[in-house]
Amino acid sequence: MGYKPKLVCFSCKFGWAYLRDMNALGEDVEFLTPVECSGRLDALHLLKAFKERADGVLILACEEGHCHFQEGNFRTLKMLYLLRDVLEAHGIEKARVRIEFSLDPEGRKILGRIARMKESLSALGPLNRALL
Amino acid sequence: MGEKPKVAICWLGACGGCDEAIVDLNEGLLDVAEAVSIEFWPVAMDYKYDHLAAFGKGEIAVGLVSGHVRNSEHAEVAHLLRDRCKLVIALGACACFGGTPALANLVSREEILDAVYVKAPSVVNPDGRLPQVETAWEEEILRLPAFFDHVYALNQVIEVDYYLPGCPPPSELIRNGVRAVLTDDLPPKGSTLAPRKALCETCPRNKTKPMRLEIHGPIRRIHEVEADPEMCFLAEGILCMGPATRSGCGETCIRSNTPCRGCFGPVPGVSDPGSRFISSLAALLKVGTTGDPEAVMASLGDPVGYLYRFTHPVSTLGARRLSQATEETP
Ligand code: SF4
Ligand code: SF4
Repeated sequence: MGYKPKLVCFSCKFGWAYLRDMNALGEDVEFLTPVECSGRLDALHLLKAFKERADGVLILACEEGHCHFQEGNFRTLKMLYLLRDVLEAHGIEKARVRIEFSLDPEGRKILGRIARMKESLSALGPLNRALL
Repeated sequence: MGEKPKVAICWLGACGGCDEAIVDLNEGLLDVAEAVSIEFWPVAMDYKYDHLAAFGKGEIAVGLVSGHVRNSEHAEVAHLLRDRCKLVIALGACACFGGTPALANLVSREEILDAVYVKAPSVVNPDGRLPQVETAWEEEILRLPAFFDHVYALNQVIEVDYYLPGCPPPSELIRNGVRAVLTDDLPPKGSTLAPRKALCETCPRNKTKPMRLEIHGPIRRIHEVEADPEMCFLAEGILCMGPATRSGCGETCIRSNTPCRGCFGPVPGVSDPGSRFISSLAALLKVGTTGDPEAVMASLGDPVGYLYRFTHPVSTLGARRLSQATEETP
C-alpha cells in the first residue's frame, strides 16, 4: 500500500478556475500549473515532467469551440497522439497522460478530476523507469 | 620547424563510416598527413591500445573520436583518449548524440542479449548461454568487455571539446575542423564545428515551401510515394526533419530525393529535436472537422524511430550520464 502517485496537472487559465484562487485548492494539487491556453504546452514540458519523476500528467483544456486561440486545445490533442507513442516506447503507458475538455470557471471539478486520475494511476502502479 | 602536432583517430561503438569519411578526403589526406603526424588509427593501421597508453598526458594535440559508448571497452578507451589528447572532437552522429544504434535504448540489455544469443533464428543455444565478462578456460581467465544497459553519447562519458556531426560527417567538414584546430581558429569549447542555421535555410527546395505551411490529411512516408524532385517534402506531406536539424551536411539526402532524417542533430538552442518536431507537427497538421486526428497522427508509423533516429541518448527521456555504479564493469 502507501503508493501515492505523483500527478502533474496543467490547466488552461481561460477555462479552468479563473474565478478562484488556485492556492485554495489544497495539497492534492501539489503539481498544478495554470497555463495560458493548453496549446502553449510543448511536448517537452510533458517529457520533462515524466523525466522528473511524475507518474502521470493531466491536462485540463477548454471545451471544443471555446479556445481563446481558436484551436490550441485541439493542437494539444494532436500533439498527445504522437507523444503517447514516444512515451509508450519508453515504457510509459498511454493512460498516464489524460486530457479533459471542459469549462469550469469556479474550479469545482478540478479536485474530482485529479482524484479520478490519481485513482487510475494507483491502479497502474509505479511507473517502470527502467528505460528512463 | 617544430614537431608536427600529433593526432589520434579512434572508433568506439562505430560502423567505420566516419573513418571512411576521413579516407574520402582523398588527396586531401596527404595534406593532412603533411601537416600532422597520425599516431593512432586502429581502423587504418595496426595500432594497439598500448601504443596510445604510452603517450604522456595531453601529448596528442587532437583526438578524433567516432562512435558511441556501449561497453566497458569503449568507456576505458574514451577515458584514455581524454587523458592523452589535449582536444577531443566527437566525430559523427554516434559520438555526438548516440546515433542510430542508440535506438536500442528502447529495449533492455536483457532483451537484446536474449534476442541475439538465444532467440535469433540462426542460433542454437538450448542452455541459454550468454557471453560472460570472465570465463575460466584451462589455467586462464578469458575476459570480454561488459555490455552496458544503455548507449551513451561521448560527452556522457568524457568531456568533449568540439563536435563534428553527421552520419557520416562530410569530408569537407572534417577538413575544415582539422584546419581550425591547426590554425587555432576555434570557437568556444563545446561548440559544434558546423553552421548554426537550420537545414531548411540552406535547402534548395526551400523556395517551394509555402509561408504558411499546412499539411492536410495523412503524413506520407517516402517509400510510399514518388516524391517530386523539386518540391519541399513537408509541403508535400512527407516528413522531413529539416526545420529542426542543423545545416552543414551539403543536403546530400535532399539532393537524392530523400527527406532529412536529422543526422546533424538539433539546431542550437533545441535540446530535444523530437519533441520540438512533435509540437510543430501538431500545429501543421490540419485534420478538418470530419477527420480523425488519431488516424492522421498514426500515419507517421514509427514516430520514435523517425524523430529520435540519431539523438536518443541526448533526448529528454533518454539522457543519462555513464556512472560506473549503474553499469556493470569487469
Ligand atoms: S522541410 Fe525539408 S525539403 Fe522542405 S525546405 Fe526544409 S529541409 Fe528542405
Ligand atoms: S539531409 Fe539530414 S539526414 Fe541527410 S545528411 Fe543532411 S542532416 Fe543528415
